[in-house]
Amino acid sequence: MDETALIRNAQHGDLDAFNTLVLAYQDIVYNMALRILGDEDLAADASQEAFISAFRAINSYRGGSFRAWLFRTVTNACYDELRRIKRRPTTPLEPETEDGDEVESPRWLADPNASPENQLDQAELEHAIQHCLENLPTDFRAVVVLADIQGLDYAEVAVAVKKPLGTIKSRLARARLRLRECLQAFRELLPAAFRLEEERDL
Amino acid sequence: MTTPSFRDVEKLSTFLDGHLSQAENTRLEARIRSDPSVAAALADLRQARAILRRTPKRHVPRNFTLTPHMAGIRPPVPRLVPALSWASAMAMVLFVVTLGTNLLGQLSFGAAAPMLSAAPMTNENFGVGSGPAGTQAPAADNTQVTPTAEAYIMTAPEATAPGVTRLLPPAAVSAEKAAPEPVNIWLYIWLGLAVILIAAALLIRQASLQAFRRKVGGKHNP
Repeated sequence: MDETALIRNAQHGDLDAFNTLVLAYQDIVYNMALRILGDEDLAADASQEAFISAFRAINSYRGGSFRAWLFRTVTNACYDELRRIKRRPTTPLEPETEDGDEVESPRWLADPNASPENQLDQAELEHAIQHCLENLPTDFRAVVVLADIQGLDYAEVAVAVKKPLGTIKSRLARARLRLRECLQAFRELLPAAFRLEEERDL
Repeated sequence: MTTPSFRDVEKLSTFLDGHLSQAENTRLEARIRSDPSVAAALADLRQARAILRRTPKRHVPRNFTLTPHMAGIRPPVPRLVPALSWASAMAMVLFVVTLGTNLLGQLSFGAAAPMLSAAPMTNENFGVGSGPAGTQAPAADNTQVTPTAEAYIMTAPEATAPGVTRLLPPAAVSAEKAAPEPVNIWLYIWLGLAVILIAAALLIRQASLQAFRRKVGGKHNP
């Protein structure tokens, strides 16, 4: 069944149709929440909340990019989580050593399917990106995650964060600049990966 | 060579994503070729974007499919259930009303009985007193206007042996007669109806719940 039919059925209360959409989108939703929140458990909670909200508000979807509409609920769920954390800070988002220092390359970031060397590279890269993302203001972070990590176009990002296109362009430019500056600090750690990608893009 | 302004950076970022107009594109491309600082800024932005695009993707720790409970879907209630419940409630109300009416009737009857029995009782007393049973009876009649059975027996203790049944006061006799009076049949009807209707409503609800669970349970239980 195509996406439009699934959405239409879900709008008529068909939970199975909606759950088919959940299975199709849960990876990108979870990854987006993870990049914005920086914590697996919080990201899982926000993803679940986002899907619950999406089902309850499915009749407010009036066509256009379903992905963008769905990401709006995810963004809202993430903002809610961030507000909740601010009100009641609990455990640190990064694992710490016994001395209370932050672990540079936490094991929990590693992809278990990758080879040990690749695993380390991936973990370093992920840690670097996450660290720099978390240094950005939340609004900038959401825009850059949607545009550059999730691959949404400007119009979809505008729908997802409910801001005009001009604001999206401006925030994205600022976020890229700040990320570039921040990632400079990790250049020593990940030179090969960065350059290879750059050469491919050019 | 000049440091690009933020407006330049914004244009370069938009240019990178291919969202500039044709005219702006042409102008910016000319600047990129002529100004190394603009070209360097573009390279920085491109690199930042390239790194972000390489962000490792994570697998979901679990499926986020919704259960009916999460989705706020309640099992449907058959139309018959509220109708039966209402009917049962009405039957219960009628039961209470009938019971109340009966009790009121009995109470008023019970209150009226001694009054009604007072007159004949005195006559009987006179009759008893004038009979062969007791010589003290008339004295007792003077002191007790409405004698109870006990008082009556106390005043005529010698009459306990052979003529005891005849000596019982009329009030006691009428009470004996009232006790085995049949209970209003409607009490049984209303109560039985209320129980049957509510039981039927519960059974239908239970069957509907089980059908709902069979329908959605298998698909959404983790």
